Amino acid sequence: QGLLSILRKLKSAPDQEVRILLLGLDNAGKTTLLKQLASEDISHITPTQGFNIKSVQSQGFKLNVWDIGGQRKIRPYWRNYFENTDVLIYVIDSADRKRFEETGQELAELLDEEKLSGVPVLIFANKQDLLTAAPASEIAEGLNLHTIRDRIWQIQSCSALTGEGVQDGMNWVCKNVTAKKK
Amino acid sequence: MFVYLWGYLYRHFFRFWVKWILRQLTGKCELQRIRDGSKEGSQRTLKIEYSLECSKRKVLRNAVHVGEAEVEKCVIGIMKEKKINIQKDISFKKSLQVCLLQISGYKKLYLEVENLRKVPYDSDNEEHEKQLIQLWNLLMPHENLKARITKQWCDIGFQGDDPKTDFRGMGMLGLVNLVYFSKYYTGEARQILSRSNHPKLGYSYAIVGINLTEMAYSLLKSGALKSHLYNLVPGLPQMEHFHQFYCYLVYEFDKFWFEEEPESIMHFNCYREKFHEKVKGLLLDYNLVLTLQSTTKKP
Repeated sequence: QGLLSILRKLKSAPDQEVRILLLGLDNAGKTTLLKQLASEDISHITPTQGFNIKSVQSQGFKLNVWDIGGQRKIRPYWRNYFENTDVLIYVIDSADRKRFEETGQELAELLDEEKLSGVPVLIFANKQDLLTAAPASEIAEGLNLHTIRDRIWQIQSCSALTGEGVQDGMNWVCKNVTAKKK
Repeated sequence: MFVYLWGYLYRHFFRFWVKWILRQLTGKCELQRIRDGSKEGSQRTLKIEYSLECSKRKVLRNAVHVGEAEVEKCVIGIMKEKKINIQKDISFKKSLQVCLLQISGYKKLYLEVENLRKVPYDSDNEEHEKQLIQLWNLLMPHENLKARITKQWCDIGFQGDDPKTDFRGMGMLGLVNLVYFSKYYTGEARQILSRSNHPKLGYSYAIVGINLTEMAYSLLKSGALKSHLYNLVPGLPQMEHFHQFYCYLVYEFDKFWFEEEPESIMHFNCYREKFHEKVKGLLLDYNLVLTLQSTTKKP
């Protein structure tokens, strides 16, 4: 019986694959977040030229996370990665108030994209470990998130550096991906 | 499993007897046999390093960490321990000294590089700011910076209007590398910068440079750079040698990138990995030294 159940487990359907797109301005903390999700060392990070991709197992899902560089010069390439996205994660540097307007604009443009219509969006108000970080509520207000009506969304404060809040955000992702995939 | 078991048995049991038998046959200890049987450079030093690290005697194991000032004393200690007559074999003493300097020097160099990497770029630090401005002036001699925070930084391949956030995990090591290349290989640096603005195959010069600092750093950390440095420096390797290896990477990566003709900058990481594997492969060659052959002034 023991052997049989092991065999059955081996044969059981593979984890459902989920495509997650990680976007945001340069220096928002996307790569640190990606490495934190994959439990990798985060002390040697360099600016992302192009993209990074990692697969992470979580709650019965295989999350394929695409981390795309945020430099203005390569933002036009973002659209090449929209197709079949299940969840969009948008990362904001909560301490970089000077660029709130720029990040808000980029997010608004993403939400207008036809290929991303209806895709659930999680906004990470990152870098909460910094004293100067704006709280998630202030960012939500500044970005007029409450006006989003065409999809489910969530804002989660976190620190990709310490890992705080990251799991809460990912729980939201896993819960809401099920709703959509059914 | 079998390989593991064999490795274990060899290290803990057979190795001792093989060495004992060879010692009786040749009348020399392992260190002497290595010295006589291999040529100067990485081939010899790597074998000596392995032999010392595996040794059961503390004097020998500690020798790989010895400081520059104690090297001679340490070598005399080893020779006493191994009953090698100093008067009879003066050249052995000399070559073992060189090996120890290389071995402990590599570890020391790694610590120095690591310390510089851990210094974050700080815009309140005058010295840091000076080096950043120097980088601009070296690369763009005919154009003045209009402000400290300006879109112009993108012209030399930083991501936004303030480079300070681009150094990240490489800290000051990234900036010092960039400045070193521009200062001592100015012609090459400007040429590569101008090539990096290619409309189709272009890349961001500065942040690719910082990515290559990471590559040089991780090769040093993993020990992969040993063969290169042991061949290059018959003594203590210096920070300068690390910078020069970085220069080699920048120069060679640029060549590699244009030869490969990637579809777009979005494929950077794939080609970076391919280049990384290529360099790692080259470093496996015991006889190789990877240096940039400069056409302009030499450091």
